[in-house]
Amino acid sequence: MTGLVVAAGGLINAVGFAQIAGDNPAARAVFAQQMELLARQLTYLLPAPAELDTMAGYLTWRWFGSAVLIYAFWALLAGTGAGRGDEERGLIELWLSTGASRLRLTAARVAGFAVVAAVSIAFMLAVTDVGAAIGREPLPLGPLAFEGVAMWVLTLFVFAFALVVAQLVTTRRSATGIAGVVVLGLFMLNAAARSGVDVGALRWVSPFYLFERSTPLLQGGSLDAPATAALALGAFVLVVIAVGAFVRRDIGGPLFRIASGKTRVEWRPAGDPLLRMPVLAIVDQQRVWTVAWALGLAVLAGFLTSTTKVMVDALGNSNIPMLRAYFERAGINVYADFVGVIWFSTLLLLVSLFVVVQVNGWAADDAEGRLEMILSAPVSRGRVVVERIAAVVVACAVVVAASSLAVYLTATSTGISLAGGRFVFASAAVLPVAYAFAGVGHAFVGWRPRLAVVVLGALAVVGYFAQQFTPLFAWPDWVNDVSLYALYGTPMSKDDWGGIATLIAIGTVGTAIALFVMRRRDVGR
Amino acid sequence: MTTAIATKGLTKDYGSGHGIFDLDLTVAEGEVFGYLGPNGAGKTTTIKLLMGLIHATRGSATILGLDADRDAVALKHKIGYVPGELPLFGGWRGSEIVAYIAGLRGDLTDSKVETVAKRLDLDLGRKYREYSHGNKQKLALLLAFAPQPALLILDEPTSGLDPLHQQEFYGLVRDARGHGATIFISSHVLSEVEHVCDRVGIVRDGHLATVGQLDQLAGMRAHRVEIVFAGAPPIDRIRAIPGFEQLAVEDHRVSGMFRGDFEPLLAALASSRVTKFESREPSLEEIFLGFYK
Repeated sequence: MTGLVVAAGGLINAVGFAQIAGDNPAARAVFAQQMELLARQLTYLLPAPAELDTMAGYLTWRWFGSAVLIYAFWALLAGTGAGRGDEERGLIELWLSTGASRLRLTAARVAGFAVVAAVSIAFMLAVTDVGAAIGREPLPLGPLAFEGVAMWVLTLFVFAFALVVAQLVTTRRSATGIAGVVVLGLFMLNAAARSGVDVGALRWVSPFYLFERSTPLLQGGSLDAPATAALALGAFVLVVIAVGAFVRRDIGGPLFRIASGKTRVEWRPAGDPLLRMPVLAIVDQQRVWTVAWALGLAVLAGFLTSTTKVMVDALGNSNIPMLRAYFERAGINVYADFVGVIWFSTLLLLVSLFVVVQVNGWAADDAEGRLEMILSAPVSRGRVVVERIAAVVVACAVVVAASSLAVYLTATSTGISLAGGRFVFASAAVLPVAYAFAGVGHAFVGWRPRLAVVVLGALAVVGYFAQQFTPLFAWPDWVNDVSLYALYGTPMSKDDWGGIATLIAIGTVGTAIALFVMRRRDVGR
Repeated sequence: MTTAIATKGLTKDYGSGHGIFDLDLTVAEGEVFGYLGPNGAGKTTTIKLLMGLIHATRGSATILGLDADRDAVALKHKIGYVPGELPLFGGWRGSEIVAYIAGLRGDLTDSKVETVAKRLDLDLGRKYREYSHGNKQKLALLLAFAPQPALLILDEPTSGLDPLHQQEFYGLVRDARGHGATIFISSHVLSEVEHVCDRVGIVRDGHLATVGQLDQLAGMRAHRVEIVFAGAPPIDRIRAIPGFEQLAVEDHRVSGMFRGDFEPLLAALASSRVTKFESREPSLEEIFLGFYK
């Protein structure tokens, strides 16, 4: 799945470059100049730009710099899954009972991941090269393979690191959280150095720096053998540490056990009053998760808003006809429009993904017996459906409020004037989108729980890209209209009550179907 | 006597012979009813039908005068339930799970929870994922018994409990019955049925094989007979005796289950020298196995 998504990204970037950058040296030079300006503002996200007038240079900067983050994130999840997730599900106990040694088990998981990662990266590079070939600028195979090797070794390093962290804690969630913070820290360390902050030799600690030292696709560039070997050696050492820790620790326990300070036995139910209230009980159960999303989106909102002026100045006044046309079609004339178009489209996608995660949880409630337990209380199935959907809308309201506050404060501090009323309206109008996704999601959960996440995820991602690419590539309007997000409209500039009413109607029809299906279905089957 | 549970032709057909078929069963109020059968016999399917968690293919179930499917919500006010498979509550503390379920039920007071938690020696301050299987089972028992419902439906309730807490469970059942509760226990552990049940139903391959009082079931025997001969056993004569089943011969020793009148057996043994003759009532275990032969 990751391979398919990343491969699609590679194809889109390559084809997109061919479409946007122009087909003569003069147009390419202008494009490169504009991108260079933009890239200099994005050094804490993407690698330093070089040769942006070529397909190889553009993809090295724009695409491979992003793809490696996706692979790192994937490796992180896979590492903690192999190190702790399987154990939580009781699989490790089962495998060890068959006589497999812990060393063999870990070696098999590492080797398996290495093979899958290699195949996924090779596939992604091949598809990207197809896109480059469509743009009549195919990438040379040798350097492309070296790019793949560098990416593969970094992916293995992150996997091995996550595997080590998983030995130190008792849950996959903790392992993912801790490893994620550390990997993000290492990424930011390199990003800070890229942005001109003097971090000295400490930069060498970051695996992302070691990866970026390889530039095989650029003129005169090559695979940095010492840096790649250092990453590979690091990955190997981490795997050895993980095996050592796994052999030493108890199954189900951490490597280092800290004696619990708890001495008092509790006999009574928790005093938290929210746990006993309809809707709020569900929100309360997910408070940590919701706050994490709210904070994450607030940080992203602040970052995107802080780059608004630079982006609009660089792109909006561009000499590149296609970009100018994009800005016109997307209705971006002033900074506030950019916030409206770029931020709210991003927010819609992220809030939809938040709902998708909740929908996944509803499916798991049934599979893991929680729904059976809830329905053993005097609770109707209808109430379960309505409460879940209401709870997800409340949680989305928290997430949207936090991110909108961040946008407003950042915009004000950077001198961008946002119309308060419109901005509040645009923020509130995200909630009908969340409601529509939740309604449709619950209808699927009742009918085909395993399909629900796939369908809803596809609805979100395809809808987002349809909305983004329609103005960029001047596609017909109906392409944009297939996106659920089209119903959200552009509330920062005009009201579209019809669209909002339609979203609410979709959510309501989805809820009605969910109620019907939920009443009919057998629980736990 | 008022009926607590009555099923009529209750069927859940999953296809390929799986499910429960044409179940006609009556449990009286205040009765402790044991529902016995091996894995896959249809016990859990029956219980899920009674709880309104799954819908019947045909037939009906009435509980405390209400339809188990149509009136499922109203019924749950009167039912305490232990599921066959424990749910996964991850990082929740036991106290949070109890508070959440208490909020849904509305009849679970802190003092009732405390009483049962202390009886079961269950620390609610720990996270669910840190609980042993036995402690998870105790939490399920607590959630079922603490509201003091009129009907308890318990699917293999002693699974994972140590002998000490099994005794405490029997105590909870006796106390609940003392308060007038009806209790429906599914199990494949016969000893727990012998401990607490008034009547027993045996289910096999989705069909109810028999229902009876515990002493009636024992009366269906079937005596366990063991005979030791001084010389070679008269096998042919013994085989010819009607009602002698599960015959096993080992040197001079012959054993088996004997059903029916003893006279033909004694007549067959008259011409042989018998050094030991032992006949005893079979345990429920042996009766149980008899139904699966």
